Amino acid sequence: MKKEDMVKLISADGFEFVIDEKAAMVSQTIRNMLTSPGSFTETQQRQVTFPDISTTILEKICQYFYWSLQYASGKETEFHIEPELTLELMMAANYLHT
Amino acid sequence: MGGACSRKRDQQVDEDNIHRGFSGRYCKSGSSKWLGSSFSRSLSDVKQGIGKSPSLMELCTYKICEAIHNYGSFSMLPRDVSQQIFDELVYSQRLNDVILQAFRDCALQDLNLGEYPGFNDSWMDMIASQGSSLLSVDFSGSDVTDAGLSHLKDCTGLQALNFNYCDKISDNGMAHISGLSNMTTLSFRRNNMITAQGMSALSGLVNLVKLDLERCPKIHGGLVHLKGLTKLESLNINCCNCITDTDMKPLQGLANLKALQISSSKVTDHGVNFLKALHKLELLNMEGCPVTAACLESLSALGALLYLNLSRCNLADDGCDKFSRLQALKVLNLGFNEISDAILVYLKGLTNLESLNLDSCSIRDEGLVNLAGLSRLKCLELSDTEVGSSGLRHLSGLGNLESLNLSFTVVTDGGLRKLSGLSCLRSLNLDVRQITDTGLAALTSLTGLTHLDLFGARITDSGTNYLKCFRNLRSLEICGGGLTDAGVKNIKDLTSLALLNLSQNSHLTDKSLEAISGLTQLVSLNVSNSRVTSAGLQHLKPLKNLKSLTLESCKVTANDLKKLQATHLPNLVNFRPE
Repeated sequence: MKKEDMVKLISADGFEFVIDEKAAMVSQTIRNMLTSPGSFTETQQRQVTFPDISTTILEKICQYFYWSLQYASGKETEFHIEPELTLELMMAANYLHT
Repeated sequence: MGGACSRKRDQQVDEDNIHRGFSGRYCKSGSSKWLGSSFSRSLSDVKQGIGKSPSLMELCTYKICEAIHNYGSFSMLPRDVSQQIFDELVYSQRLNDVILQAFRDCALQDLNLGEYPGFNDSWMDMIASQGSSLLSVDFSGSDVTDAGLSHLKDCTGLQALNFNYCDKISDNGMAHISGLSNMTTLSFRRNNMITAQGMSALSGLVNLVKLDLERCPKIHGGLVHLKGLTKLESLNINCCNCITDTDMKPLQGLANLKALQISSSKVTDHGVNFLKALHKLELLNMEGCPVTAACLESLSALGALLYLNLSRCNLADDGCDKFSRLQALKVLNLGFNEISDAILVYLKGLTNLESLNLDSCSIRDEGLVNLAGLSRLKCLELSDTEVGSSGLRHLSGLGNLESLNLSFTVVTDGGLRKLSGLSCLRSLNLDVRQITDTGLAALTSLTGLTHLDLFGARITDSGTNYLKCFRNLRSLEICGGGLTDAGVKNIKDLTSLALLNLSQNSHLTDKSLEAISGLTQLVSLNVSNSRVTSAGLQHLKPLKNLKSLTLESCKVTANDLKKLQATHLPNLVNFRPE
């Protein structure tokens, strides 16, 4: 996998997730950040910081991105969500248009 | 985070089928005709199919709704998040008066609770707690009373309010909404209590664009309060039989009115006279009004008129010459009038016409020559006329025709080849007893057909061979009695079929059910008056989309069908015998 195909997502507490750009693009918000014309730091450095999303939630979101790609290719499994995470996850999903 | 990126609000639903003059939304009637509208989601679920995963928002929403009792309040959530949870609870009918409390002060915008079970005055307090955020509320079909309505007084942001079929709201309740001047859409169909006095509250709703009072029998004299509502674009007072000519007078100043529906009222030619100044009027529905052709004098002043419904009026040939002035018309319904084909010469120049309905008029072959030049015609209704085969030649050049109804006419097999070039045709009604296999053979070039009605035609097994040409058929009716199991085999590859009616073919047996067991798109199936038995029902198990199944006068009991529904056909909502 070439480095250009990866993006870095950084949680509020500084934890870094390096994932496929294709997976990250599942989020409309991240897609806009990475593809918007001009020289946003996000576009240039291929990384996005989320000061309002905790590590636990961001990890779950990355899992969702990959699950979503699998689903789209025909592997329709269930995506498990821990009850205690649901509300926080939903707010993040709302922000990420996911 | 989150709060700022508010999504586009869902379009308000109530865009009813204005051109046909009825609404499918009210479902207390329980007619199977509206199966489609009340179960739209399960269909779209199916359609979605492979490829698109549910969004994380959706997954979280489902998760929360499943465990809704664990949540005390959603007021700390961004509005669009709580709105989504609310909508899902309403959709899945999990919302009740206890759960409702979690949504207090959530600044929700849209509360679509039409027909919601259990909705009553005690819910109105929570609705009011959304305060000025509230943009639209629908509690049609509920038991809300005047007292309940009073809670909305302070929801000053309200733009749309629907309390159709709320028979406990009266003039007193109307007073509570008179100050909601941001209102653009108001609907209270079939209210038996509201009178002219209650209507006075409307005079304060100066931003009103759309007002729907269909089937309100006591509003006579009340339209005078609409005088100042100059932004009004749409007024529906269909089936208000109290409405008379004097009620038309206050409408004459509503210069922005684009759609006016006054069907089944007492309005006469004199009343129509008051509408002359409505220069923006595009749609006028006067079905069933006691107007004559003399009203065309007034209507010819309406240069913007596109849709005109004059069916079931008192038209006669005399005076119909003025139709020629209605040059902009796209849709004209003249069905069920005492008019003859002599008037068609006055329609000859209406070259914008896309739809013409002459149902049950005295139309004979010669007159149809005047329609030959109406090249934009998409829909032509000639049911129950005297049109025969020699008239069809005048239609053969109407290349844009998509829908043609020739049921109960005198057309014969010999004339049908004149239709063979109508390649845009999607819907053809040939419910005509004298049509046989020979006629069907002449139509095989019409491969785009999606709806074919041969209800009373004398189609036999050999005729069904021609059906193979119509691979796009979504509905098919053949009920002439001539089919056996061998003929039904020719239907089995029409896999797009959603509606299939093979009733009255008394020779059909369980083998026919076996033959159609692969038509998994079927939503409605009728094989009444046949030799089908309960043993044959096993073949219907794969028809998971089936919502309506009719097997009257067969060897099938209601119990058999109930069992089938419970174990294999969960979507089945209508079945006979029951």
